[in-house]
Amino acid sequence: MSIKEPTIRYDRIIETVVLLLMATGTVFVFSAGATVNGDYDLSQFYNMTTLKQLIFFPLAVLVMYGVSAIDYRRFSVTQRPPGYSPTPYLSVIALLLLVAVLIWGVERNYSKRWLDLAPGSVYISFQPSELAKWVMILFLAAYLERYSSTIGQFGTRFVPVCLIAGFVVGLIVIEDFGTAAFIAMITFIMLLLGGAKLWHLFSPLPVVLPAFAWAILSSPTRINRIKSFLDPSGMQYQARQSLIAISTGGMLGKGLGRGVIKYGHLPEDTTDFIFSIIAEEMGIAACVFVILLFIIFAIAGVMVVFRCRDRFGRLVAAGIVMAITIQAAVNIGVVTVVLPTKGIPLPFISAGGTSMLLTAAAVGILLNIARHGSEPAFNLKNTIPVITNISQDNHESH
Amino acid sequence: MTNPHKREMWILGLFLTAMVSVFAALTWRVVDLKHAQREAYEKSSRRQKTALVPEKPRRGQILDCKGRVLAASIEAYNVFVEPRRLREYPDQIQVAAASLQDILGTPGPEICRMIDESRNPGYVKIKPGISPDERALVKEINLPAVGIETDWNRSYPANNLTGHIVGFVGADNTGLSGLELQYNTYLQGTPGQHVFVVDALRRPIAVQAGAGKDAEDGLNLVLTIDSVIQRFVHEALKKKMDEYEAESAVAIVMDPWTGAVLAMVSLPDFDPTKFSKTPQDRMRNRALTDPFEPGSIFKPIVAAIALDAGMIGYEEKFDCENGFWSKYGGIGEFGNHQYKMLSVREIILHSSNIGMAKIGLKMGQKKLYDGLKMFGFSSPTGVDLPGEEPGLVWSLPKWSKYSVTRIPFGHEVMVTPMQICRAYSILANGGYVIKPHIVRAVVNNQGEIIEDRQPTAGMGYIIKTEVANWMVRKAMTDVVNEGTGDQAKMENVQVWGKTGTANIAVNGHYDWKNYVASFVGGAPAEKPEVVVLVSIRKPNRSLGKGYSGGRVAAPVVHDILENTLRYLGAMEGETMPEPQVAATAQSVSTGI
Repeated sequence: MSIKEPTIRYDRIIETVVLLLMATGTVFVFSAGATVNGDYDLSQFYNMTTLKQLIFFPLAVLVMYGVSAIDYRRFSVTQRPPGYSPTPYLSVIALLLLVAVLIWGVERNYSKRWLDLAPGSVYISFQPSELAKWVMILFLAAYLERYSSTIGQFGTRFVPVCLIAGFVVGLIVIEDFGTAAFIAMITFIMLLLGGAKLWHLFSPLPVVLPAFAWAILSSPTRINRIKSFLDPSGMQYQARQSLIAISTGGMLGKGLGRGVIKYGHLPEDTTDFIFSIIAEEMGIAACVFVILLFIIFAIAGVMVVFRCRDRFGRLVAAGIVMAITIQAAVNIGVVTVVLPTKGIPLPFISAGGTSMLLTAAAVGILLNIARHGSEPAFNLKNTIPVITNISQDNHESH
Repeated sequence: MTNPHKREMWILGLFLTAMVSVFAALTWRVVDLKHAQREAYEKSSRRQKTALVPEKPRRGQILDCKGRVLAASIEAYNVFVEPRRLREYPDQIQVAAASLQDILGTPGPEICRMIDESRNPGYVKIKPGISPDERALVKEINLPAVGIETDWNRSYPANNLTGHIVGFVGADNTGLSGLELQYNTYLQGTPGQHVFVVDALRRPIAVQAGAGKDAEDGLNLVLTIDSVIQRFVHEALKKKMDEYEAESAVAIVMDPWTGAVLAMVSLPDFDPTKFSKTPQDRMRNRALTDPFEPGSIFKPIVAAIALDAGMIGYEEKFDCENGFWSKYGGIGEFGNHQYKMLSVREIILHSSNIGMAKIGLKMGQKKLYDGLKMFGFSSPTGVDLPGEEPGLVWSLPKWSKYSVTRIPFGHEVMVTPMQICRAYSILANGGYVIKPHIVRAVVNNQGEIIEDRQPTAGMGYIIKTEVANWMVRKAMTDVVNEGTGDQAKMENVQVWGKTGTANIAVNGHYDWKNYVASFVGGAPAEKPEVVVLVSIRKPNRSLGKGYSGGRVAAPVVHDILENTLRYLGAMEGETMPEPQVAATAQSVSTGI
């Protein structure tokens, strides 16, 4: 294989798109966070979404570039000596946290999804399901790479990975239906990408579909959400407010900071419903701008996947690109009331520390794949000085 | 093994196509929302995101001719709630009621009831006129849908003194009586409305530009009333009324040259700040609402009509039948005096009923009726106060054969004190018609005159100046100097006037116990500065202090004239000070 310098620097494109989205997010979260009282009391600093967001923006950029400097192959199990890959550890940590949140979690907006790590005035609230989402992608990529030739075996390869994924989804679905369904979908696509047989993939459906149906029917909140979604006259308050915000924005909006819906009329205006604020204040122009950025991100991301030479990189990159784009589409769908309300943030834009930093880290991995994925896989001298004679051909021997 | 790379390309290509289509669909959805459904959502969101805040205009002030405040509006604060906002959340009404109960002291259930029964879903007033402490506390608890608004409280610093003139306003600041009612459209101003963009708790964020309008304050009234003279009159009248245990009393001081009412008192009076606790009877401005049979004070008017018509001469003598004339149903004299041949001057001086009856006969029904009509009896004077009665002069076909002998001494007619005062002012000014009025000008807050309400002078002479002057300077001056009005006499100013002691008819018969004691006159005789009417109804005769106009009313007129002329600077001999008109005009421009 010859080294060919890419004509288009997709990493630059992704970088630019993500920075633009983050900057847009910061501006609008700041705008949406405006309150009438406007007391900038420093003791409340960590409770104030807007100021928090100002801190998180540079922090996320730092994380993104920091992670992008790490060779993505370090996350691969196959390409590392046993015990050196962080992916298994991360998987265990994510699992433990998912269990922990069910026990010690903090309830907000009627669901127990948060862990408060350092209680007190300077606390970091943390959403384990967000971490699980990204770790799941790494885990699946590593698993599929490790067993790429034998994944076709139903009992020994396919069923175990399905059980693990099913367990994770099962833990999350208790409190967060949206994220659970999302992880199930990502798992499905990644298994498909990773070479699993189609009839294998459809075999869990008789179990999964009733399980999800039960999850929906067992929760009155979810039934209400769906009912109110199906009946436009009884439209939910939040959805209705969101539509008012979007429809009153016009072509160029009411002007940055001039929106009125944010003054308590739209709950979650800085997080899940930030897109309404953008639509209200900057109009169609800004909406198209944001959507266009996500489309560019998707195209550039898929191009990175195509360029990447090793299987692990392709799977991770595909997982990350899909996760981010699908989230964006679902979020905008919810905000424009095409989909029923569920708690999925708009990547890069919505306020929320955990989600933003983890997404930034994921983009960091994607950037690294974009930069180095087209290089030959045996270029491991730089990352693992101890072992220098491993080539792609003997992966399977580990 | 299938080619994994090719499979990935398929799946990712599919994924990419799907996502681009989804994003395109979402873009279309956003555009559709903004274009097709904008109207509908904008409309439905307007009420939610904006609040209309009415601004109540400040009601105009009422000032006397020197700019002293008789009525003014003072800022006050009300607590109100917006019921439809409270109903959006369960228990919010109870929470609000409980919090307001602690602050305002109004029982919680009472507040709940007010909110529940409110017909206006956007506004219900919980407590008007809260204290500054209560205001601070309500602001502090910061409940949704609970607000404080600015209101205006009407204040009447002169209290009883000008209660009948100024009147009062109801709870909604609308005039209900007096000038407040008559000039309500001038005083009330125009309400403003401001449109605020509000947050979910309905706290205002910003004013919506171009959507509201400011309130326009009401216009102010400058009166012809001088509250100093008003006080002289009020005190003198009250003192006399109490002394004689009278039922009621009326006094008017008028500028005979312009018809400007300088003072008008009706007793019993009331305090407009406590009007809701005042019996209806006290609220009547008797100078306008209570016609009475004038008695002897009517004689100079009839005599002037006869002289003006040339039906009688100044020196013509009338046989007064030695105290009793058996014809025409029998006519006697007051106090059983016995007169023989009297001239007009002597008839007025001695107040001879028989003499007046003969003058009436000589003049005839038609001339008498026309003359009374000319003087404006049986129609309202048009003074700018509500509730004025026209009085009564029967139309000619209804006159009995006795009427022409009774009306000349003030029976069989009903007149208001204001009508008498105007008639005497016509005599005092040389015979031209004046229009009694109480508002000098309508001015705005910058002191600019918006409307000059002073009627144009010289609306035409209804009797000859010569007759009017003779009646004032000769006949009625002699009444004071030699006749029944001696108690009104002053040392250095010549007073003129006529007494009247009229019987009050009860059920069509004259009651010999109940009288109206009146005196109408003025000073100085050469050029009267003021005309004063005092009329005291039902002085208690059993006190033994007298009951006649000369005994009861004339001293009051004396007191009023003495104080008023000194106050107006007209006491130095017979020299005239600056005309009253100029003085009034000056005070208008400096009044605010």
